[in-house]
Amino acid sequence: MQDISLHLLDIIENSVRAGSKNIQIRIIKDANANFLRIIVSDDGIGMDPITIEKAQDPFFTSKTERKKKVGLGIPLLKQNAELCNGSFQMSSEPGKGTVLTAEFQLDHIDRMPLGDLKETLLSAIVGHPEVNFSIILTSLDKDKEKSFHFETAPIKEELGDIPLTYPDVIKYLEQSINEGIQITNMEDV
Amino acid sequence: MKTLADLKKIREKAQEEMKLRDGKVRIKIVVGMGTSGIAMGAREVMKTFLEEISNRNLTDVLVTQTGEKGLSSMEPVVDVIEEGKPKVTYGNMTPEKARRVVVEHIVNGRVVSDYVVATGD
Repeated sequence: MQDISLHLLDIIENSVRAGSKNIQIRIIKDANANFLRIIVSDDGIGMDPITIEKAQDPFFTSKTERKKKVGLGIPLLKQNAELCNGSFQMSSEPGKGTVLTAEFQLDHIDRMPLGDLKETLLSAIVGHPEVNFSIILTSLDKDKEKSFHFETAPIKEELGDIPLTYPDVIKYLEQSINEGIQITNMEDV
Repeated sequence: MKTLADLKKIREKAQEEMKLRDGKVRIKIVVGMGTSGIAMGAREVMKTFLEEISNRNLTDVLVTQTGEKGLSSMEPVVDVIEEGKPKVTYGNMTPEKARRVVVEHIVNGRVVSDYVVATGD
């Protein structure tokens, strides 16, 4: 993975595969405390302590349909976070969903860029119309706090049976997400 | 700022249009978005499909994404599903190839055999 936004898409796909109906994505850029934090919480099937342990092991995967029993998504993200003075946590309980937190030192020289956040969010939202997404972007710099909150449930309710990949809806979602990224200065992190 | 009122307009316009063609989705594109797919550029392929649908105003095409399907060596992988026809799976996709699939297959109905890695279920 070349950037954090691709890791984020990978984690979101894990949440979807865990049968989540609601996924919350929080991204906090804090220039004062010098961190970039990504939190993905879902209401999927969750994991027991053994599975949590195994999910961080590169030689394990939950994808039973595959012969190849390795999953590199989570171990690589963990490694990338820890390599730049950050941290990685997963907390989960069977039946209660999962919360995954990855933190990076914001100004660490080895930190991968955040990348194209808009494409990750747009892709996840339209690619999984059955899932409700809640997106919260926050940036803190000195005494300024900027925040953006985006919910897909009311949008889908308003649209009824019009698909999310209807041309004008794609444009609507793209512009909304773009505005949020600009408001919170997440374009070039 | 975009509001829900903007969406209402979109919905009304879309509903008019759907009435004209019985509300049917003609073709479904499914992009494989597993870890290896993402690492190989599946998000950029997805982006290209969304751009093309939006720019060409293709109102009867649906795009979704799915996990890995055991074709890791051919990622990014894309399925094109049309009612009454065998499923077509394209492999080793790039944004350029995705554009060609839109023009030739989605718009003009000709399968791009150069990129096909599997057909049927």
